[in-house]
Amino acid sequence: MIEVKDLHKEFRGGRGLKGFSLEIEAGELVGLVGPNGAGKTTLIRILSTLQPADSGSATVASFDVSGKPASVRAAVGYLPDVPGVYQDTRVDEFLEFFADAFRLKEPRRTAAIERALERSGLEDRKQDFVEQLSLGWKQRLLLAKTLMHDPKILLLDEPATGLDPLARMALREELKQLHAGGITILVSSHILADLEDICTRVVFIADGANVSEAECSMRRGAVAPATLRCQVEFEGPASAADAVIGRIADARVLERKGGRLVIELQGGAKDASAFLGELLVAGVTVIHFDARGPGLEERYRRTFEERPS
Amino acid sequence: MTRIISNPMIRKELRQRLRERRAWLLPTLYLLVVSGTTLFAYSLAIDQTIGGGQREIQGADIGIAIFMTVIFTQIVALLLMAPVFSAAAITIEKEQRTLPGLLTSLLTTPQIWWGKFVVAVLFLLLLLSSGLPLLTLSFAFGGVEPMQLVYAIGSTVLVLASICAVGLWCSAMFRRSVHSTAACYGLLLVLTVVTSVIFGFLASHWSNTNGSADQMPAYVQAPLFLNPLYPLLALVSGDIRAEFSYPLSSWLLFAAMGCLAAAFAMRRLQRSGDQL
Repeated sequence: MIEVKDLHKEFRGGRGLKGFSLEIEAGELVGLVGPNGAGKTTLIRILSTLQPADSGSATVASFDVSGKPASVRAAVGYLPDVPGVYQDTRVDEFLEFFADAFRLKEPRRTAAIERALERSGLEDRKQDFVEQLSLGWKQRLLLAKTLMHDPKILLLDEPATGLDPLARMALREELKQLHAGGITILVSSHILADLEDICTRVVFIADGANVSEAECSMRRGAVAPATLRCQVEFEGPASAADAVIGRIADARVLERKGGRLVIELQGGAKDASAFLGELLVAGVTVIHFDARGPGLEERYRRTFEERPS
Repeated sequence: MTRIISNPMIRKELRQRLRERRAWLLPTLYLLVVSGTTLFAYSLAIDQTIGGGQREIQGADIGIAIFMTVIFTQIVALLLMAPVFSAAAITIEKEQRTLPGLLTSLLTTPQIWWGKFVVAVLFLLLLLSSGLPLLTLSFAFGGVEPMQLVYAIGSTVLVLASICAVGLWCSAMFRRSVHSTAACYGLLLVLTVVTSVIFGFLASHWSNTNGSADQMPAYVQAPLFLNPLYPLLALVSGDIRAEFSYPLSSWLLFAAMGCLAAAFAMRRLQRSGDQL
């Protein structure tokens, strides 16, 4: 659905993209993560046809972004990092304008406006001026506007910036629903917990280039086939848990803090389940078990702490 | 053709412009200024003691005085307002961060430019037409032909459209409205004052060489062709009319300047992703 090969874009000061590559299949929800100035916004802007690349190739929905920008725009919904709204227009006028800007013809136009009002939850406030809406409502309106022309792909640049926790949760649910509906999504964000919750894959970017995919990509629920890192939290004495761990060959305790253990095992998902079963049979009161390995925050910390700034 | 007329940018811009306070404030101020100067011109025209002695007043004199005063006041006032309507049209989208939304929609760059241009010109036309009743007062006194009215309005519209195109170019070039508006006023100053000063030097050199300021050739007047007031000078009766007799060259230059500014603005707008 999105294919980026050796993309270069240079800005004054040396920032930009330096040979970034990425492939996203249809139906994926991919998170783009990296420090400030890593090139996330530049990549999303190039994919949305806002900026031309210096070299390399980028295709979105099988259209080349520089050769067929109009086709790309028709297939893509783009939400910029600091999106703007026309404060002095009413909510319905705002949506009508973008329905016309995307050349929606009747009856599709009216249906798209009604759907956007429903999606944003602003049906009762459609006569309000946009400036009267809170940031969270504006973000919902913008997302609804972005979806008006039924794009196959969503490019979201820091969509949760400035939102309060409730608005963030609502946005997360909305993205989950859109993903479930078959829309391919590329979202950049600094809020790793949100990405961990919703993304099927997370790609790390630093200094405009890929950070090793093997090191950083993460599939939610997937467990590395060779080495397994399990986090166990339990109540009561650790002796029963230690006895179970002692019976498993190649098991290694990496971390021990009160009722919390981090253990490295050899094997896959089945071995993790078997380990949990043995703990329960041995009478250990398990209150939390996670065999997904280190979380995104931990991976991020490890990756970027090791990189020279 | 339908796409040009049913451009969603035009509807959006008109709606936004008409909701602003200046939508009623500027026409009010404009009409006050034009009415005031018309009244002043009328009182001067009927003053029998002008020039130090008694003279006979004819209706045609009053008609011509009102007509000339109104058309020159109108063009000066509208020239001062043109940058306000045009030079902030694109920068406001950059400042409000709404330009990415436009550039990633299916609106083409010419459509975005056209929407901004049409609305800027329409607002100036609204002001121009609101001054028409004052212009037609001159017909009541006589001395003015309907073709002169058509000529004056046509010239004014062409010059204003060209200045609006220049304003939009400034707007596409800069990130901030204050900078683009200042740049547009700077260019306007060059077109009005600097061209007049250059013409003054050339005319003075010509009259010193030839011993007379009569029948100045086109190259001496050339700097004035870019002066927004030049096409209207041909309307002025008497000797000046004979002197400034190249309005067509001026019209063509303004049309060319407008087209160039439009092309540059669209090109810049297309590449404005790097400016966001």
